[in-house]
Amino acid sequence: MLELYGQIEEAVAFIRTKWDQTPVAGIVLGTGLGNLAAQIESPIAIDYADIPNFPVSTATSHAGRFVCGMLDGVPIVAMEGRIHQYEGVPLKQITLPIRVMKALGANLLIVSQAVGGMNPQYVAGDVMIIDDQINLMGDNPLVGVNDDRLGERFPDMSAPYTPELIEVGMEIARQGNFHVHRGVTVAVTGPNLETRAEYRFLRMIGADVVGMSTVPEVIVAVHGGMRVFGLSVVTDMCLPDALKVAVTEEIIAVANAAEPKLRALVLGVLAHEAKRKA
Amino acid sequence: MLELASQMKEAAAAVQARWSEQPVAGIILGTGLGRLADEIADSVAIPYADVPHFPQSTAIGHAGQLVCGQLAGRPVVAFQGRFHLYEGNSAQQAAMPVRLLQAMNVPAMIVSNAAGGLNPHYRVGDLMMIEDQINLQFDNPLIGVNDDNLGPRFPDMSAPYDIELQTQAAQIAQQADIELHRGVYVSVLGPNYETRAEYRMARQLGGDAVGMSTTPETTAARHAGMRVLGFSTITNVGSPDILSETDGHDVIAAADAASGKLRTIVEGVVSSF
Repeated sequence: MLELYGQIEEAVAFIRTKWDQTPVAGIVLGTGLGNLAAQIESPIAIDYADIPNFPVSTATSHAGRFVCGMLDGVPIVAMEGRIHQYEGVPLKQITLPIRVMKALGANLLIVSQAVGGMNPQYVAGDVMIIDDQINLMGDNPLVGVNDDRLGERFPDMSAPYTPELIEVGMEIARQGNFHVHRGVTVAVTGPNLETRAEYRFLRMIGADVVGMSTVPEVIVAVHGGMRVFGLSVVTDMCLPDALKVAVTEEIIAVANAAEPKLRALVLGVLAHEAKRKA
Repeated sequence: MLELASQMKEAAAAVQARWSEQPVAGIILGTGLGRLADEIADSVAIPYADVPHFPQSTAIGHAGQLVCGQLAGRPVVAFQGRFHLYEGNSAQQAAMPVRLLQAMNVPAMIVSNAAGGLNPHYRVGDLMMIEDQINLQFDNPLIGVNDDNLGPRFPDMSAPYDIELQTQAAQIAQQADIELHRGVYVSVLGPNYETRAEYRMARQLGGDAVGMSTTPETTAARHAGMRVLGFSTITNVGSPDILSETDGHDVIAAADAASGKLRTIVEGVVSSF
């Protein structure tokens, strides 16, 4: 774990040769939010493969570029495409870009993910502001000798998603006259989608949605002392007693349809954060 | 796994070269309970670094040595400092102390830990005797080729914590006027403390306390056919809807405060061996 610090410094040094601003936030553009990258002004896009120590993505609909630039006049860095545990990459490597965002100066992580909805009040296309999380990935990015320069050994997790930003997000939805949920996401390894019995189990332990990402990134962000705002896009409903076969193309189409809501939430929270810092 | 038995024979030989008595029990001292080692008379301390094939401990509050000597007049081996999965150890490495005890023919293990209370009746500083366990660590010390000399392929887990020893400990607690809960311990990987949602899950699954240790040691001890007695000190209360921040140093302070009660019970049980 102690070599991680050097790896972060190498990646930061490389990015600094191309972009010299201090980002207000790091944004992970999950399934469906990828198009937000097109809105970044004066973008410097760097392929993950070119950044020292960066993991490389293989998932469909994930491009795999680190984009630095201005979003609505606010300096940000964004991950276009993310790496998942099911690709066989260790969580410590998957979360390295979050460490890099922090080291570049970002104190806020905005993260989005495509999920299956298990709360029966949700429908496909809904957006959920993440209130809390359950890690069922069987692994944790903080396992190993702790590097006290990066964070403490036993980080508190009583509020991994910044409560103030959850409220800001709810208010943005009210003002924008669209509906958002507020709930619990559970992370599993994947890559297979869950069985009916697994959905029942995940619902029973208190989760509203299930996904295969985000939780490791948020653990690392909390370890690094970042504020966190998380969004889930419900791309399909996973009701065990009325379960339909999941089609990847449909999932991506639904995620894209929810983009205006996601965009409003991300830009609103970003503006709030920029004002708070000013 | 097949080389484990010979490795632990070497480790046992290194310990026996410095302390030659036959221990009646092994004691694994959890966070803040390291001070029980101070009660051990005529003690010989052996740093883990001097024990062949032993991993090294990095956690705060864990010193990393064996303390061999007399507790309540009976020879014991105590482990001050343990190996956690969150340090990057496998469950098999976490169970190394148990395998050493097995190689020394120790018939019983007493294990303690610091845990977050899930049962709403528990308060900070309370003691819970572990009645049963749920392994949510996604690892098991018995994974790999089974060494039949160490234990069976599929060990029974219908009563991992010895029922007779539990009864005995409960009587000692009662006589000493110590409140002792009995409950189910859930182990997780860590190292972050649980989220509110994770506390709710662990409670929903039937847990009374949650922590980051103990189940690897107990699983290996049952595989080895040892009798096990386990205790959790409740160092923070994980009621999800009134959750406060958890701090590693507060946890150690709470465990220290409860250590007197636990010492009384452990010494009482050991004196009967």
